[in-house]
Amino acid sequence: MVEARLRRFDGAYRWFLCRTVPLRNEAGAIVKWFSVSIDIEDRKRTEEEIRSTQTKLAQMGHVLTMGQLTASIAHEVNQPLSVSGIITNANTCLHMLAANPPNVEGARETARRTIRDGHRASEVVKRVRALFGKENAALEPVDLNEATREVIALSRVRFQETHAVLRTELAEELPLVNGDRVQLQQVVLNLIQNASDAMISVRDRPRRMVITTERDGNECVRLTVQDAGVGFERESLQRLFDAFYTTKSEGMGIGLSISRSIIERHGGRMWAALNEGPGAAFSFSVPIVAKDATCAGAAVPS
Amino acid sequence: MKSVKIKRPLVSVVDDDESVRESLPDLLAEFGFAVQAFSSAEAFLNSGNMARTRCLIFDVAMPGMSGPDLHRELKRRKLEIPIVFITANADEKVRPRMLEEGAVECLIKPFSDTDLRKALDAALA
Repeated sequence: MVEARLRRFDGAYRWFLCRTVPLRNEAGAIVKWFSVSIDIEDRKRTEEEIRSTQTKLAQMGHVLTMGQLTASIAHEVNQPLSVSGIITNANTCLHMLAANPPNVEGARETARRTIRDGHRASEVVKRVRALFGKENAALEPVDLNEATREVIALSRVRFQETHAVLRTELAEELPLVNGDRVQLQQVVLNLIQNASDAMISVRDRPRRMVITTERDGNECVRLTVQDAGVGFERESLQRLFDAFYTTKSEGMGIGLSISRSIIERHGGRMWAALNEGPGAAFSFSVPIVAKDATCAGAAVPS
Repeated sequence: MKSVKIKRPLVSVVDDDESVRESLPDLLAEFGFAVQAFSSAEAFLNSGNMARTRCLIFDVAMPGMSGPDLHRELKRRKLEIPIVFITANADEKVRPRMLEEGAVECLIKPFSDTDLRKALDAALA
């Protein structure tokens, strides 16, 4: 069975799937060949379209993350505006009280506004927090294996482009974790992309990536993305999760920082370690669905 | 006896942030100014009170006409109104650029009452 680009009767070149089967006599000698050529040009095109749609979806995921980030930063930038009102009102209040005679009614009114704007400013901060990590009430039981498989499916194109070979070791009967599914998927996607990026320049060894899920103590589930990439300097271990720290020429250095803040808001932990051989491994642990489960005591290599 | 009406100098505030439009006029009134607040440069330009305005307090970054745009428009109309820019952008480069544009002062939000007072004194000198 072979796929080949052949010239059709009308002169057009199209993709064909060709199968050839011999017809043998009782002695086993070939008497005839049966051959069939199926025109698979349309199927090929559809496959190509699916691939490009997947790429676009992954890009949209990125844009979405960046969009949320931009929105939250815009909120933060706006915050000084209401702070400005607070300070002006408080100043006015003092001036009114210092006047002779003091303007008590005016002072009372500006003090009221000061309190109102203070509440407004704290609302803004709350909204930014809510963007990065939902309050506990919004968390739901998430199957981390299932969520990870979805991200892997989305990343297929990326694996093909980077010639990365993926192995998954997803633990069976993994307990559900307490979390925000989309945010956890963003973290996994970020780890997979980092691992791919770390391997892009590797030429002397297979570009192997291993994604593992397993139990971590009684109260947590751990996910690890291990790569055979360029790794990182031992000294930079402390800075890997800092915002705007990056070892990539095109990175902004916010992926890991946001990832860690998402994991911490889930009551979990995130860390990195160098492999014995080439490459590195990034892991996070998040609490399972259980009352008061925490990952504070989870095994974290120093 | 004829009553003498002392005219307070008019200061116009242009800012799209409602909390500033609400709070700043009161403080300026405490300083002894008459105040008008507008939510956009266009609203100010259409107010008909430009000629009376002795000082303009203007937020640099607003949707629509920007600070420098308004400055040019006022020049075109031959209105030499001293401008004090206010901005939430703490970038050090903003202030020198605004002063170069001909602003009397550029205050970074949140600003103190003394800094505002100084800026107004300079504008009305």
